[in-house]
Amino acid sequence: MAYPYVSDLEVRVISKYFGDPGQRRIDTYVERGGYKGLQKALGLEPDAVTEEVKASGLRGRGGAGFPTGVKWSFMPKESIRPHYLLCNADESEPGTFKDRELMRWDPHQLIEGCLIGAYAIRAQHIYIYCRGEFFEVNQILARAVEDAYAKGYAGEDILGTGTTIDITVHQGAGAYICGEETGLMRSLEGERGEPRVKPPFPAAVGVFGMPSTINNVETLAAVPHIILNGGEWYRQWGTEKSPGTKLFCVSGHVQKPGNYELPLGFPLIDLIEHVCGGIRDGNELKAVIPGGSSVPLINAEDSSICTLDYEGCVEVGTMLGCASVIVMDHKADIVKQVRRMVDFYAHESCGQCTQCREGSAWTARILRRIEEGQGTEEDLDTLMEMTQQMVGTTICVLSDSVAAPVQSSIKKFKDDYLALIRGGERVGAA
Amino acid sequence: MSDVPFRNPGWAGNTGEFDLTEEQVRGDDFIGQRPLHGGHSSVSGTMPYMLVERNPQAGLFEGEYQERLEKILTRYPKKRAALLPVLGMVQELRGYVSPESMDRVAELLDLSPAYVRGVTTFYTMYNKRPVGRHLVQVCTNISCNLCGADEVLAAFLRYTDIELGATSEDGDFTVIEAECLAACGFPTCVQINSRYFENVTPADVPKIIEHLRAQVAGSD
Repeated sequence: MAYPYVSDLEVRVISKYFGDPGQRRIDTYVERGGYKGLQKALGLEPDAVTEEVKASGLRGRGGAGFPTGVKWSFMPKESIRPHYLLCNADESEPGTFKDRELMRWDPHQLIEGCLIGAYAIRAQHIYIYCRGEFFEVNQILARAVEDAYAKGYAGEDILGTGTTIDITVHQGAGAYICGEETGLMRSLEGERGEPRVKPPFPAAVGVFGMPSTINNVETLAAVPHIILNGGEWYRQWGTEKSPGTKLFCVSGHVQKPGNYELPLGFPLIDLIEHVCGGIRDGNELKAVIPGGSSVPLINAEDSSICTLDYEGCVEVGTMLGCASVIVMDHKADIVKQVRRMVDFYAHESCGQCTQCREGSAWTARILRRIEEGQGTEEDLDTLMEMTQQMVGTTICVLSDSVAAPVQSSIKKFKDDYLALIRGGERVGAA
Repeated sequence: MSDVPFRNPGWAGNTGEFDLTEEQVRGDDFIGQRPLHGGHSSVSGTMPYMLVERNPQAGLFEGEYQERLEKILTRYPKKRAALLPVLGMVQELRGYVSPESMDRVAELLDLSPAYVRGVTTFYTMYNKRPVGRHLVQVCTNISCNLCGADEVLAAFLRYTDIELGATSEDGDFTVIEAECLAACGFPTCVQINSRYFENVTPADVPKIIEHLRAQVAGSD
C-alpha cells in the first residue's frame, strides 16, 4: 500500500483515503458516500446535530481537548447577528503534520465537516484560516470549495433546503501565534495576530465582534462520519473520557515516521515499537514528546507506561496536545533540542506580555550558553525559577509552552545538562 | 513541476518505499493553474502564488489583479480584513513589500501607513526586502533537526555559496532558516518558493539547486 506507511493496528476513519489523489475530486468523493452526512444534517434541527456530536464525545483535536458538541452549544440560539464558523488550519506546532495531510488528501471531508458545523451553530459564513506556507494546500482547498459551490453543496440554498452557507479560504502569513484562537480572529480581521484576554469568549464576541466558533481541522473532519453513523458508533473506539480515533504524527528517530490513525488510549510504547517499526538503527529510546513541542518531555521509563489519551498523558506528567509524538533515541542532544524549541518560541512570541517576550529570549540565551560549555549549575536553578514565572501569568499559553520543555528536561535529563556544564563528554551528537 | 529528476516525491519516510508519481502527490492536474483573478466570487480569500519572476516596479491591482482585489473585498464584512490577502498579492507581483507598497495598500484600504507597517512586520512571510528568485527556507526545528537539518542547511549554503539570509550575486537564491513547516514526518523539509521538498538529505541538495537553476534559465 502506498501512503507512507500503514499498520494493521490502525483504524482509518478520517485518514482512509490518504495517498489516493482521486479523493480530491468531488465526483469520487460523492461516489464513496461523501456529502451524505451533510444531507442528513440538513434534515435535522441544528440543535439535534449538536446533540449527536455531544453524544459522540468528540474532543477538540487542536490541543486543548475541549468537547466539541459542548463548544457548539455555547453559541446563541436566537440571534439576529451573523455567526461565523472558523476552521483553524494554521498548523504550526513543531512535530504536527496532520492537518496538512487531511487537507491535501481529503479536502471535501473537511468542507463537509465545516458545513455541518456551520449549520449546527447557525453560521452563514465559514472561514478556513489556512497556514500561509501551505500554498499547495490552499490551492487544493480553493479548487475543492469551488467544486462544492458548483455542485450545490455550498453557497445559496444548499441542496434545495434553503440554507445558505458561504466558505472562504483565508491564507495566513506566517505566525505561529495565529493558531491561538483569539490571535487567529484578530489576524483574520487584518490585525497583528496578538491574542486577547478571555472572556469574552468567541461564542459571545468572536471575529468581527460576532458570535464565533473555532474548531481544528481534524475535529471538523470527524464530524461527517459522526453525523452519518451516530455518536454511539464513534464511541466504539477510544476510552470513556477520550472516545474515538486520533491521528498520531510520529516524527524523529523512528524507522517509519508518519501519520497513523489509532484509537485514543493506545499505548505509547506499542506505537513506537509495533506501528512505527521501533527506533532507528536499533538504538535505545531516550525521550518522547507526546504532544508537540509545547508539552513536557518524558523519559523512556514513563514512555513504557504512558497511554495516548488526554488522561493517560496527564498521569505521567505530560499532555496529549495534538498528539505529535517526537521520538528521540540515546544519541539525541536534549539540551540542543530544547534550546532549538525555545528559540522557536522566542521568535514566535507576539511580544505583548513581558514574561513571554523577555523570558523566552532570556531562556534561549542561557540555554545557548550551557550548550557552548559556558554554563554553571546555578543557571539550572535560574532557568527553573524564571520559567516558573512564565506559567499562567500571560494572556495566552505560548509562555507556558516555553516552561514545559525546559522544566521537564531539567528534571528528567539533568545529567545531560551537568555533563555540558562540567565540561565532560557531550551526551549526544544530533 | 512534474519533471523533478530525483527520488522523493515527498513523505515516504527514510526508506522511500512508495509507488505514487510526482503528479499524483502534488496533484498538478487537479489543482491546475488557479485563475489570477481569484476564481469564484464568493470563494477564496486569496489565490496565492510565489512567482519566480517578479517585478519590483509592477503595477499593483491592475487587470486580473484588480478583479481579484474586488472579489477579496466582497468576502469580508470589514475592509480591513482584506489587508493580509492584499499584502500577499503585492508580494506575489513585486517579490517583496516595500514601504512604498505599504503606503499604497494603506491608501487603498483606508488605513494609516503606520498601521499597515505594524501588521506587515508582524508576519514572517512578508519579505521586507527583495529576495532571490528562489527563496530557500530550510526547517531546522526539532523534528527536522533530530534528523540532520543542520547539515542540509549547511549544504544549501555551501552549494549556493552565500551566507545565511543573504542573496546570491546572480539574484537566484536566498537561503534562510525556517520554523516548523508542518512536514515533520518527512525530514528535512525545505520550502522553496511555494513548493515543499521533503526528505531532503545533504546529498540531494546539488540536484535540487541544478533543477532550480534550469528553471530560471528556462524562463528567460
